[in-house]
Amino acid sequence: MKARILLPALLLLLFAASLLTPWSDFAQLWQQDQALALAVLQELRLPRASLALTYGAMLGAAGAAIQALFANPLASPDLTGTTSGAALGAVVTAYLLGFASPLALSAGAVAGALGALLLLLALAGPKAETATLLLAGLAISALAGALTTLALALAPSPFAFYDAYDWLMGSLIDRSLSQAAFAGIPALLTIMLLLRLRAPLDALTLGEDVAISFGYDVRRLRIEIVSLTALGVGACVAICGAIGFIGLVAPIFARRLTGGHPGRAILPAAALGGALLLAADLAVRAAPLGRTLPIGVVTALLGAPFFLWLVAHMRWRFER
Amino acid sequence: MTAPLAATGLALPGRLEPTDLLVDAPSLVCLVGPNGSGKTSLLHALAGIGAPSSTVRIGGVDCGGAAPAERRRLLAFLPASREAAWPVTVRDLVALGLPAGAAAAEADWAIAALALEEFANRRIDQLSTGERSRALIARALAPKPRLLLLDEPVANLDPLWQLRLMDLLKRTVAAGQTVLIALHDLDLAARYADRLIVMNARRIVADGEPRALIEGDAIRSVFGIQMGKDGWQPV
Amino acid sequence: MRAFAFASALSLAFAGAADAAPRRVASLNLCTDELLLLLAAPEQIASLTHLSQSEAETPLWRQARRYRKNDGSLVSVAPLKPDLIVTMGGGARDRGRIAARLGMRTLDVPYPQTIGDIEKAVASVAAALGRSTAAQPVLARIATLSATAPKRSADAVWLGGGGRSVGAGSLGAQWMALAGLKQRRLTGDRITLEQLLVRPPAVLLRSNYRAGQYSGEQRWLSHPLAKGAVRSRTVTTDGRLWTCMGPLLAGEVLRLRRELGR
Repeated sequence: MKARILLPALLLLLFAASLLTPWSDFAQLWQQDQALALAVLQELRLPRASLALTYGAMLGAAGAAIQALFANPLASPDLTGTTSGAALGAVVTAYLLGFASPLALSAGAVAGALGALLLLLALAGPKAETATLLLAGLAISALAGALTTLALALAPSPFAFYDAYDWLMGSLIDRSLSQAAFAGIPALLTIMLLLRLRAPLDALTLGEDVAISFGYDVRRLRIEIVSLTALGVGACVAICGAIGFIGLVAPIFARRLTGGHPGRAILPAAALGGALLLAADLAVRAAPLGRTLPIGVVTALLGAPFFLWLVAHMRWRFER
Repeated sequence: MTAPLAATGLALPGRLEPTDLLVDAPSLVCLVGPNGSGKTSLLHALAGIGAPSSTVRIGGVDCGGAAPAERRRLLAFLPASREAAWPVTVRDLVALGLPAGAAAAEADWAIAALALEEFANRRIDQLSTGERSRALIARALAPKPRLLLLDEPVANLDPLWQLRLMDLLKRTVAAGQTVLIALHDLDLAARYADRLIVMNARRIVADGEPRALIEGDAIRSVFGIQMGKDGWQPV
Repeated sequence: MRAFAFASALSLAFAGAADAAPRRVASLNLCTDELLLLLAAPEQIASLTHLSQSEAETPLWRQARRYRKNDGSLVSVAPLKPDLIVTMGGGARDRGRIAARLGMRTLDVPYPQTIGDIEKAVASVAAALGRSTAAQPVLARIATLSATAPKRSADAVWLGGGGRSVGAGSLGAQWMALAGLKQRRLTGDRITLEQLLVRPPAVLLRSNYRAGQYSGEQRWLSHPLAKGAVRSRTVTTDGRLWTCMGPLLAGEVLRLRRELGR
């Protein structure tokens, strides 16, 4: 399939662009001092590019898996409250409880994400119809977002409040290589483990009963998907904050490529998610006046109109 | 020859009383009974849905321990709800029933058997209800499982296709497979079944030769109807 | 000299109004809190802001705990009926009028932009308190520092959370100059990690303000490049002193001189 070649190529291109823009600065530095140029590449540009790649891929894969599990194209890490829950978990752990080590932050975020997903399952149930699922997810997101802002406002450090944007809208800036690893390694592991569940997720197309008759343990599948999503998304949010819409948009396009199969779409969704976030990060760098746009703003500007189109399209389809 | 189906301890709390089922030769078995009698539950228990205490041996092989690939050759279950969550093509849908690595041709024969060739590359959400039903039936038939469990397969089919499907199932049995279908249509059951199982109040109340059961008391006492000169009449 | 003249003029102005030193003085600003703690007699202080009692904000916090705290507003000190209310830089216009109607004197100290402004602030507050003698050692210390300022200065960057720095001609930079450090001119008074890597300063003056409290800015400071280990000499400074950049910095400048060997 053409996509097999095009997607990885696109990904590589965007990654290279992320590393090498602005080119003029880099070229100048290279001429002056090669070792220094390499240091800039490694210490500053590489973390940012690899975070965009791995966080985006994680969102894409998690979105595809959650959409397959709930049999609903509108499920995604942000709409189910997973990313908001993760941000809340991280903020409470670091700002209020005072455990600010990278491991503690990640653990807090994973706990928050897990809590949000479990709450969603408890509220909406595993076989929820769209309206119930969305309402429950939005309620959890709204609550988590409000609590996050509250926690930041009440935190000991008076600077905490200004971090709200970073947590709620994401940021890839000024992260170190070790931070990038803290997010990237769990993300890649999670994606690999999710890929092993492709077949049962595809079987869910026929309904839960048929999947069980095939010999798949659907209850265990649910637990695995929820845990893996919480782990991968949590690790990324702990470092970069909550970034929305990638987990919604990437799987939808990925399913176009796999003829609608949700499980097979996990890998293409990861590739598309990585590409989308790399592109969004490049857009952030192109912001006018040298201002910094939170990356979540860019993904929202691209994703929200698409989401609206999707809702309208679904309605039109059902009314036909 | 090992029995095509030897199941013991089939039970679902609140839905199916503990029961055993033995089918000693490939046959077309029809399950009839009023709504809530346990037909779907029996099929569920056989398919392994929510019945942890049962043992199902198909052709001597214990289903519980079979790997997914092997299991698809042993049994296929078609639920009454005709759901397909994602807009895949008919060919892809039928192929979902096949074990991984199966040849594409296996899907093709099932598509041909249900006369879906012209729809093969169309998305299932673009088909009519009847066409979609046929696609889902093709999915169940495609791996040629030793045991077919079909819940209301003729629902949503027009009269012609109801007869065609029953003929197809008859041929399937002649080829050595066993088919267990839950039906509401007593005439179809009478005409095609090798064996009739009547269920009521979550248990099997009658089991045997269809004509005998229909002319006897079983149907009358369970459904409150009996066969008269002009067809079925309320008692 | 000018400072002392100014102080005398003030004391003359007040001479007629109230010969006696004010008995109850309240401060509504952290920086004026510190001035009061340095210059006033303990029985003169009626109230200080809650910030002065926080260990994270000022080294004089222990001393400040003896006094009643206020939240920086006039309404919180009015019940104490202070004779004098000391504020800094603005908002004073309305507060001044209201205070006058309540029969309270106010002294508003303008935000200092230079070390000379600091000296003026010390003198004016001391005069208003009737404690000009207390001001003398403080002013002398600053004068000595200015007189012995190092001739050579090193390229330096003051580093706060998130890359914040100080302006090249600002009050902070002037204090740094007294320690032999020349604050680099930076766009937007901020330095980026890339700049720290590509053009590291000779001396990196890191503020430890609220270092134990987590925030995004603190996380920035823990980035390997912000620690400056490789090519800069990194010196930590008590961040609390750089909020007000008042006379307390004199001691810090001496300490920095010793540490940097100047």
